[in-house]
Amino acid sequence: MELLSYVIRKLIGGIPLILGVTLISFVLMVYFGPDKTFELLSKNPTEAEIAQVRAQLGYDRPFLVRYAEYLKEMATLDFGFSDSTGERVSSILSRTIPVSLALLAPGFVLGNLLGIVLGLVAAWYRGGWVDKLIMGGAVVGMSISFLVVIVAFQALFGVVLGWFPVRGWNVHDLPSYAYYVTVPTLASVFVALGYNTRFFRAVLVEEINRDHVRTARAFGARPAEILFRNVLMNAMIPIVTRILFSIPLIVVSGSLLIESYFGIPGIGKVTFDAITSGDQPILKAVVGLTAVLFVLILIVTDILYRVVDPRVSLTGDAR
Amino acid sequence: MTRINQPHPVLRVDNLCVEFATTAGQIRAVDQLSFSVEAGQTLGIVGESGCGKSVTSLAIMGLLPKPAGRIVDGSVLLDGQELTRLPEGRLRQLRGAELSMIFQEPMTALNPVYSIARQMTAVLKRHQQLSARQARHRAIEMLARVGIPRPDQRIDDYPHQLSGGMRQRVMIAMALSCQPKLLIADEPTTALDVTTQAQVLRQMVDLQQELGTAVILITHDLGVIAETCDQAVVMYCGSKVEQAPVADLFLQPRHPYTAGLMQSIPRIREHKLDRLPVIEGQVPNLAALPPGCRFAGRCPNREDRCVQQQPPLTERGAQQFACFNPWNGPVES
Amino acid sequence: MSDPGIILPAPEPAAARLRPERTSLWGRALDQFRRDHAAITGLAIVAVFFLMAVGVWFGWWGTQWSQALGGRWEGPSGGHWLGTNLLGQDIFQRAVYSTRTAFEIGLIVAILSTLLGGLLGALSGFYSSRWIDSVLLWLMGTLDSIPFYLFVAAVAVAMAGNPWAMHIAMVATFWTTTARLVRGEVIKLKNLEFVEAAHAIGLGQFRIIFRHLLPNTFHILLVQGTIVFVSAIKAEVILSFLGLGVQDGVSWGLMIAESTQEVLAGQYMNFIVASSFMFVLVMAFNLFSDGLQDALDPRRAPR
Repeated sequence: MELLSYVIRKLIGGIPLILGVTLISFVLMVYFGPDKTFELLSKNPTEAEIAQVRAQLGYDRPFLVRYAEYLKEMATLDFGFSDSTGERVSSILSRTIPVSLALLAPGFVLGNLLGIVLGLVAAWYRGGWVDKLIMGGAVVGMSISFLVVIVAFQALFGVVLGWFPVRGWNVHDLPSYAYYVTVPTLASVFVALGYNTRFFRAVLVEEINRDHVRTARAFGARPAEILFRNVLMNAMIPIVTRILFSIPLIVVSGSLLIESYFGIPGIGKVTFDAITSGDQPILKAVVGLTAVLFVLILIVTDILYRVVDPRVSLTGDAR
Repeated sequence: MTRINQPHPVLRVDNLCVEFATTAGQIRAVDQLSFSVEAGQTLGIVGESGCGKSVTSLAIMGLLPKPAGRIVDGSVLLDGQELTRLPEGRLRQLRGAELSMIFQEPMTALNPVYSIARQMTAVLKRHQQLSARQARHRAIEMLARVGIPRPDQRIDDYPHQLSGGMRQRVMIAMALSCQPKLLIADEPTTALDVTTQAQVLRQMVDLQQELGTAVILITHDLGVIAETCDQAVVMYCGSKVEQAPVADLFLQPRHPYTAGLMQSIPRIREHKLDRLPVIEGQVPNLAALPPGCRFAGRCPNREDRCVQQQPPLTERGAQQFACFNPWNGPVES
Repeated sequence: MSDPGIILPAPEPAAARLRPERTSLWGRALDQFRRDHAAITGLAIVAVFFLMAVGVWFGWWGTQWSQALGGRWEGPSGGHWLGTNLLGQDIFQRAVYSTRTAFEIGLIVAILSTLLGGLLGALSGFYSSRWIDSVLLWLMGTLDSIPFYLFVAAVAVAMAGNPWAMHIAMVATFWTTTARLVRGEVIKLKNLEFVEAAHAIGLGQFRIIFRHLLPNTFHILLVQGTIVFVSAIKAEVILSFLGLGVQDGVSWGLMIAESTQEVLAGQYMNFIVASSFMFVLVMAFNLFSDGLQDALDPRRAPR
């Protein structure tokens, strides 16, 4: 019951964020977005025809009315049909989102896990050569562009070695999944690892200098035990925050490059095409979902804080 | 040593030298320190902050910050076993079992994300091969012995649910739960308020005597030394300047630094003082120590030779001191 | 020691007194930075690149980046040091010219987003928990919630091919981190004595913000500026590949984008040269930025 009222309060608290995201997306993508008037007209239209189409598209109505309309469609989940393909938006989403998730999940999980492991090792040997080696590698990794990594990996594994496909996504079972997902996964792990390791090392070093770590050592705890129970478990709040908040950005933004480059029909590519072609119904759906996802993640994060740290309570001021 | 029928000491520190690598070069934080502690006895180590007392305790535990700090000379014998040459794995088995340590800051010394039960039983399971159930039983018993009310309920609390005094009691219970031969208590009560201080100290001493543990009590508070210790070592700038049974030390301090410490304790006096006496001058920089006595710069009894050579440790009765021109006067100011 | 009775101060970690004392934040930072060989090397490399960019500005070199001077995919020779691309353009000249593009993007975005972030962050911090702070926090939260590449794409489409769309979109997204950091620092600073004293002698609020608070966040702004510089150069590559980046001229991003077809044909020169130029500059800037952070943030000092 406490949890339920908490979630409801949080959902209400998330409304300004949803309004903000939708407002900005409305201004950019609809109000100043591509003008579709002439796409719907025959050649050499008359003034009256132009005015009629503009009215039909709602271009003649005031800003606030159009924004309210936009919100209403979003709230009622009435996204309709795609302008360019005529396909139902909900069916486009249910086709592309699973592809993006399947494409990104392995890289996301591996990138974070490896980052934590390397961060722990570097933090434990802080100042020593192991630390310097790992952190030097991280800076190198951070300095290489995602695009360069993708091109290089594709050339290496697809063209030179010929082990994996150059493009496409023809997944129907586990082996074919592994066949198509490997190169994108390697690329995204490579790119994320530098940033992740640095972040995790920083928060872990912060914990490793705490008094309770010294206490654990004074009571004969083994290094593995200290790293897990004293260091990692006490650094969970920043770690959970970073990992969870990167999800929406990666699902929509991170997948875009991989999907465009490898020609994979995921949500990133669909959204990007929708922006450039001004496909409003798809944009509405994606923007709305992203905003809601953010609010949900805010809530999940707070609940996880409670799980990982007994000092945090949901009712009082948490941090 | 003057006492003939001396029992076998639990801990014997001999000529211990600890150095730290810093940006200003190699610094000797502890210099040729020797002392020993017997079972059931309490040895106090007193001195200003930075005098090397905490470094000494970390060196005994083998917990010097690596790679900066390192024991460069001397030996630490625990029950005849040389600790300085022990491999880390073996030393780890001793920590918490044979030698324990409690720290200054009870507020931060316990892991905040685990319950008291989890932290105490982890130590017991690690060192005594107890089952989960036995370990919990034992932990509750220890909590009761340090005076925690309703220990069977409090044991499931998290550290943040306990007061500072309670947390320090938990630390004491945890430190003594495997019945170590030696307990090092580094400023155990400094962070607590005065009434709690006295209770916690009392509880620690009682339990120590029941268990026959040898204790090294590190403090800057002479009052604590007077109340709890048998012997006291006075440190200044990394080396021992005086050691004596506590009664002798308070009756007749020999080193001018010790005398200065005594005089600066606020106490109820017959006549009012304008201000408390202080030791004038500054502690010398450890990176650039003078060739002679380290206290010479601040010493009222200074002679020429004090500046040129280090005074050796002299024994007089049960008392040792490193001074050419020892204090003879009264301590009352 | 003239303070009576405080002969034995409360114990502190021994290490604290072993560290020699140094004067100001900046003096200490300079000391630390000078000893950081990686950072110095990074700074030197950045300087070399900067000279390369300045030379392009003045027309000393890199002027023939767009002409087809040779045949397609010629190997390195005396005339074309690093060979030619698909269209017969000189790869070396293009890479050198792109250095100027990179510095233009990096500097413009870094300076503008640092100014914006510093200004709005200081306002937000100074008026913390007032309405202006709430509005600014809401704006930051909102901007941070919009996926970056979608935001850039939307700005680009909304501005209908304006060559500054990319810069504007980057500034609009990158200022929030700086603003949050400055906000936190200002909240900390404004409770310090010197600011209260400024209030007490009746200085105006804007004077306090601009003369007393913002200058004290300069170390944050400097470090953030270098971080944004790197982010901008890296983002340009991806945006150019997506067709949202540099509109006229050439950049490493455009070179890599055009090289993706060449790579599939087994021609790696264009790709390798553009990637390497970019990698070396970004790496050098990262090392420099790291050195700055280590020097300026006491909490990051090696422990």
